Amino acid sequence: MGSFIRLAIRQMDVQFRMRVLSLWSLGLYYIQPAIFSAVGMLLSRAAGNSSPDLVYTVVGAGMMGMWSGLVFTSTYDIRTDRREGTLEIIVGSPTSLRRVEGLRTLLNILAGLSSLVVAVLAAVLIFDYSFANVNIAGTILALLLILLGLWCMGVFLANFLAWSRVSGTVVDLMEMPMAILCGFMFPISVLPGWLQKVSGIFPIRWALEGMRDAMNGTPLAQPLIIKLLISLGLSIAFLLLARWFDGKVHDHIRVTGELHSI
Amino acid sequence: MPVQDHVPAIITTSLSKTYKTKQGFWKRTTKNIEAVRDVSFRVEKGELFGLLGPNGAGKTTTVKMLSTLLIPSSGSISIFGLDIMKDTREIRKRIGFTFGGARGLYGRLTGIENLRYFAELYALPPEVTRKQIPELLELVGLTGRGDDKVETYSSGMQQRLHLARALLHDPELIYLDEPTVGIDPVGARELRATIKELKSRGKTILLTTHYMAEADELCDRIAIINRGSLVALDTPYALKQLISHESVIELRFSAAHSDEVNQVIDSTSISLKKTTIESNGQKSMEIRTVESGEIIELLSPLLTSRVIQSLEVHNQTLEDVYVAIIQSGEK
Repeated sequence: MGSFIRLAIRQMDVQFRMRVLSLWSLGLYYIQPAIFSAVGMLLSRAAGNSSPDLVYTVVGAGMMGMWSGLVFTSTYDIRTDRREGTLEIIVGSPTSLRRVEGLRTLLNILAGLSSLVVAVLAAVLIFDYSFANVNIAGTILALLLILLGLWCMGVFLANFLAWSRVSGTVVDLMEMPMAILCGFMFPISVLPGWLQKVSGIFPIRWALEGMRDAMNGTPLAQPLIIKLLISLGLSIAFLLLARWFDGKVHDHIRVTGELHSI
Repeated sequence: MPVQDHVPAIITTSLSKTYKTKQGFWKRTTKNIEAVRDVSFRVEKGELFGLLGPNGAGKTTTVKMLSTLLIPSSGSISIFGLDIMKDTREIRKRIGFTFGGARGLYGRLTGIENLRYFAELYALPPEVTRKQIPELLELVGLTGRGDDKVETYSSGMQQRLHLARALLHDPELIYLDEPTVGIDPVGARELRATIKELKSRGKTILLTTHYMAEADELCDRIAIINRGSLVALDTPYALKQLISHESVIELRFSAAHSDEVNQVIDSTSISLKKTTIESNGQKSMEIRTVESGEIIELLSPLLTSRVIQSLEVHNQTLEDVYVAIIQSGEK
């Protein structure tokens, strides 16, 4: 356990200095969500809408920051490792790639969480948004489930990057569609019926719905709890899928020699 | 898992590796590339074993299979009696590896930060890491540069940091894949000295290199691999004997003494082959023979009387042997 904690601290330290402290990350975590947030709020205000729509834009902008940060940093990590030759060093060590990726993804999500904080601050300070009716317990619980859902999906998707150089493109292409499918900026109800069903497999969609409900004052009762439980169940399913996939990836890359890019 | 002491460090049996590559966009075709074919050898504990071969011969693929980074298509590998497929994690704890070139390090981190990070991947206790890192930096000649970012290192320094990284967990078996490639002669010499030091500490080392002099200087035994197959395996001395026992005697004398020298050489019944070149009134003669001792004895009066100005004897070098083996394989 001690060695795991030391690895976690070291991994996060390396990750923080290699990825988070960069101009690129600044744009990814703060500037891009701020633009989303401002445009959404201006549109909402122009349409004469009240606070429930602001919840969409505030939380949605924060989610965009977290999700984009997760997709790009996690994909970039493995690509860089593959290009720099460090992927071979990691895979050839007694520590599993799954563990390394899990820790990296965790830091990427925690760094992305600051996007949500910035979006909320922008809503309060610039757009006079009030949190008077917020169900704090429900919001915190939903936020934790969003983080869990993002982490489980992140470790699952990281396997695509490790699988081959080409398959990582699939993950890149998921950035915007996921924002739509999980209702980051718009309610799921505006999507066609079949797309709503597709969106149902993603844990963050349910946790996000729960968070918005809680932020709009919905009590921590049956409808909200069910959404949160669905999110939890789907997160666990993604985690199990990631674990199964990880074993396949470990064998696959050692058969194909896809550990390095030169 | 207990490991027996008498077992060899490495045993490979009929090792093969075939890559499948897909070609074409609309009509996809699969092509099989046989990188390693039926390679068998063993490396004893404490041995420094060289793997030589031209580019694309299968050296790096072999090393990657030995270091658990590639799964063989067929055949088996045993490392300290452990099976590469079943005991992967245990083997990884006991081996260290470096691949040639400057890749494999985080350029934005310092040398020490890189070593600390990789030490955590081997779950080294902090007290061991604290002790090991300065010692290793000293061993590879990077003391005083550990706090500099790796992106500011020369390729030679990066190679040396690679070696330090590979040694962090004090592995018993070390794979060094072209460790001196891209390093200046002084750096290469220092690195060879470090490799000798590691051998003297009882480490088993598998070295791949393009430099024959390096292999000749360092290795106890050498395997030559060409087009994926093992074509020769022996000590450097025995390999040199393998091709021919022939030596080359080089003579220099004045053109005025040409008849005198030729007369002595032609008087012997010893089998030899001579070639003479004349330039500016000076003659140089190359004599190829397996009985160099007798020829030198025959020529010694001419040396004493200064008819022959200089005499040098060259034995077959490992490079001669290597080229002969590789070329015979090409034919």
